[in-house]
Amino acid sequence: MQKRNYYIEIEDFLADSSFQLWILFKIDEQGWEEWTLENQQRAKLVEDARLLLLAMKVPANKISSSELTAAMQATWIKIEEKENGNKTIKHNPVRYLKQYWPGVAATLFFAFLSLWSYHNQLDRDNSIITYKELIEDNKEGLVEQTNNSDKPQIITLSDGSSVLLQPDSKLSYPKIFTGNERKVYLCGEAFFEISKNTQKPFFVYANEIITKVVGTSFRVKAYSDQPNVEVLVRTGKVKVSSNELTGTSKNEIVLLPNEALRFLRKDLSFNKITNITEDKALVSSVGNIEQLSFEFTDIPVEQIFKTIEQAYLVEIDFPKDKLKDCHLTTSLSDQPLSEKLKIICKSIGNDTNFEMNGNQIVITSQGCN
Amino acid sequence: MKTQILTLKSYDDHKLWSKLKAGDERSFSLLFEKYYGDLIHYGNSFSPFAEKVQDCVQDVFADIWLYRESLQEPDLIKAYLLSSVRKRIARLYERDHIFKKISTTDSIEFLFDFSVEHELIDDEATAESVLYLNKLLNELPSRQKEALFLRYNQGLSVEQISEMLNVNYQSANNLLHRGLLKLRKEWKGSFPVLVLLSSGIL
Repeated sequence: MQKRNYYIEIEDFLADSSFQLWILFKIDEQGWEEWTLENQQRAKLVEDARLLLLAMKVPANKISSSELTAAMQATWIKIEEKENGNKTIKHNPVRYLKQYWPGVAATLFFAFLSLWSYHNQLDRDNSIITYKELIEDNKEGLVEQTNNSDKPQIITLSDGSSVLLQPDSKLSYPKIFTGNERKVYLCGEAFFEISKNTQKPFFVYANEIITKVVGTSFRVKAYSDQPNVEVLVRTGKVKVSSNELTGTSKNEIVLLPNEALRFLRKDLSFNKITNITEDKALVSSVGNIEQLSFEFTDIPVEQIFKTIEQAYLVEIDFPKDKLKDCHLTTSLSDQPLSEKLKIICKSIGNDTNFEMNGNQIVITSQGCN
Repeated sequence: MKTQILTLKSYDDHKLWSKLKAGDERSFSLLFEKYYGDLIHYGNSFSPFAEKVQDCVQDVFADIWLYRESLQEPDLIKAYLLSSVRKRIARLYERDHIFKKISTTDSIEFLFDFSVEHELIDDEATAESVLYLNKLLNELPSRQKEALFLRYNQGLSVEQISEMLNVNYQSANNLLHRGLLKLRKEWKGSFPVLVLLSSGIL
């Protein structure tokens, strides 16, 4: 019992649960107070141990009973899945949908990426990472969409983001984004409009580089006719790093508005371009969507739809008669396609809805307010 | 505090464990409810991705249930659970695409910060010392912090810590000792008693 008489170090006290109980909960079952006062030096040691304990608080970890119940249920689901050997459906989709829908607020960035490999030049190099390699370790639950047509195709991701996939390109993405990051894998060329969610950064893996969205809106652009990858930012901030699979040291470059970056695949080097207007290659390949303005002031709805059709290469079917006198004033820049449509429908009136089916968009409306 | 609860209930833990092994779902649930919060908290100290941590902790329990028949009885159930969660998170760092390519750390890092028991401090001088100590504690290398946390907040023995951190007994001891030694050095004026003290006095 009186092992404490031999305590000579603070550690001895810290590890004594009855001492902890006395200091932290003022429960003195073993007469610590009295014992301390017996000896002045002992008192000093006790005081030091006390201060240290007070400085080592671990915040109480309160988990509500509903959270606990949910976690327990999730665990039983996991057990069932593992028992059935069904490892592909790892998560309960409903759970994740609930978490993600509120996050689909505003578009954060516009990204344009095009990545073409010069196979002849690059194939023998170990540092070259192919799309196949990228998705290999991450097959679980990925959906792959390939655009074999001659027109861009629109893809809407589970978080509301839209991707305009260019011909001869493919994108792999999870049917539903789970976890705290959103990752997609690109081969070829695509234009990204990502819905804002600061809690869940969005990553585009493309060949040797990774593009990460940090803040507000930006645009990334690269070229198809050169053995390199290019990223161009319009507004906001973007981080580009080389994939560590390349074996190079971690290299992260932050791009601000009107800055661009060219990644040379051959020697894995980054070139930052601070004045994009001086770079002819960059200036000459601006897509439809980047030239069109989405700032509308008292513009007929029909014309707004036309602009969207041009930008995304989609077809919009809407009741012309009912909407012919409707004009809107709205700013739709930096919004993914689904957000743009949502805002337009809401502005027209409560009875207006849209449905998206690949390149086909159908608007139903009873006219504007 | 927690250590006390631990010692009081460790018998119960072993009882729960053996019932669980026999297929008793209620014992499994009780164990889950008892430790889920602590494990989530511990896991969150390694990863800012709360959902992944939840997944890891739930996977640990799912595996316990699935492989219950072949499980050994650990000395301390809690140490076993903490260690399993730690391993799973470490594995996640190894395997996960983003972690593997974005993070440069070789091993997982304990990012936890100790806080101060404000409610138990009634005078200014104490408050000042405690705040200073707290700052020093939180500036310690992450492994030392983790060792201190496991030893004094979770009540693990030095052996259990050494197993968890995958180091030998002496290294685990050093982690604990060095952490506090550094505090003492920095906090010179206030710890002179340690220098004076010898076991004979008491």
